Amino acid sequence: METIYKNYFRKKNKDPVLKAIEKIPIFETLSYKELKNIAHLTHERNYKLNEYVFKKHAPAEGMYVILDGEIEIKDPDSGNIYAKLHEGDFFGELALLDEEPRSASAISIKTSRLIGFFRTDLLTLIKRYPDLGNKILLNLARVLGERLRKTNKELTNSK
Amino acid sequence: MLPFFTPIISMLVFSFLFTTIFLHTVDYIEGHTKSRPLGVTLILGVSITSIILFINSFISNLGLQIKAFTKKMQKDDFAINLENLSLQIKESLPEFFSDLVPESDKVILIAKNFLINIFQSILALLGSAGSFFFISFMVLIFTIILLIEYHDFKRSLVRFIPNKYLEIGLRTIYNIEQQISKYLRGQILAASSVAVLSIIGLFILNEFGANITLVIFIGIIAGLANLIPMIGPFIGMIPAILIAIMNNIGNELALTHSLFGIIPSPFYTFDIILMFIIVQQIDNNFITPLVVGESVGLHPMAVMIVLLIGGTLIGPLGMLFAIPAAGVLKVLLKEIIFITKNSHLL
Repeated sequence: METIYKNYFRKKNKDPVLKAIEKIPIFETLSYKELKNIAHLTHERNYKLNEYVFKKHAPAEGMYVILDGEIEIKDPDSGNIYAKLHEGDFFGELALLDEEPRSASAISIKTSRLIGFFRTDLLTLIKRYPDLGNKILLNLARVLGERLRKTNKELTNSK
Repeated sequence: MLPFFTPIISMLVFSFLFTTIFLHTVDYIEGHTKSRPLGVTLILGVSITSIILFINSFISNLGLQIKAFTKKMQKDDFAINLENLSLQIKESLPEFFSDLVPESDKVILIAKNFLINIFQSILALLGSAGSFFFISFMVLIFTIILLIEYHDFKRSLVRFIPNKYLEIGLRTIYNIEQQISKYLRGQILAASSVAVLSIIGLFILNEFGANITLVIFIGIIAGLANLIPMIGPFIGMIPAILIAIMNNIGNELALTHSLFGIIPSPFYTFDIILMFIIVQQIDNNFITPLVVGESVGLHPMAVMIVLLIGGTLIGPLGMLFAIPAAGVLKVLLKEIIFITKNSHLL
């Protein structure tokens, strides 16, 4: 019984896409089956060294999760580097909600493998699995709320 | 080479269109039952059963209509009635036009030939029924596969988009899907309302003695014909006028009937035309703007040009698909212009 149980769970954890997305805050609290449904909608992409994932001001369509490699988020105008993201990190999640252009560029500074989850995928998900769609939207709202609270705190502290 | 692929392409186009029509409902059922095959089975099952029931009932009712008409023809006074009709029409028309009306004995010959032609067409249709069933079966199979695997197919397609165009490609695919789906669902809703309104209109005409049979079928045919923009509405009136004439030959009251007591309307012909014009006006001014809206957003002039191109290239089917195809081209063009203008962003 124990062997079956272990094998069952080992099999689950083998999928790198599932492993990566289960750690993302907007996919937290989701069951294995729900994560599988999401993984089924995502797009795995490979990026060469110095290839742009997206450019500043480009129309934004969705978020990315890094499976492996390294991504640099920077402002091409000022040359400021905002972040260097590694395996398991995610970026661009705001694009799931609004259609504002990208505020910075994302460049692959190592050969990278990313998972893309886009607004059209979220809309499809809401139609096909409304409960799951609602959970993701709630998680997104929670993540944004937390960020807002953090920004407020930082603003108060800076005063 | 091309003629060989044409039926396959048509099958795929039809399957894709049916998939687009049913996709939302299948997604909805899947969301509630957690089973996609069940959704596909339910939707296609209900649709196929309805189509079979409609065709079955239509054929049996048409059979009855033909039987009644044949009986009428066999009566001695039918030829006399037809002769009288020819004479009456000749008398009521100015001299120039009356020459165009054939002699009374020729009328019977024309009527006979007309009926023979109809039966020959039905036989030819039955002859091609084999290939029709094969095509329908293949379309059904393709539709089932597409409906079940649609999202996976789409994902596979996205794999071929280069990274540079990934996001814009996804947006384009989504917009095309929305464009076609909105247009088709709107058209189906508009066609259904035209069918219902035509049925009501025909029932009202019957109340005034029009004696039109197969009302529900005529209404459905009018609704279906309405799917072809601009020309469709006129196709819809033809069966109603034909049946009114068939049923009223020999009926003096129907022959001398006049619309609003002023305009001569033999066999309620102008009543039927007026009724269909009213239905079209209701559809064009109230229903279509409401359900189809600005889904395609093409200028009426562009619609006419697109219809002409579709009709010239493929015939009636081309006219049916011309508008959604133009809608897709419009989306593609918009994205291509965006890409050309903003190539530095990609």
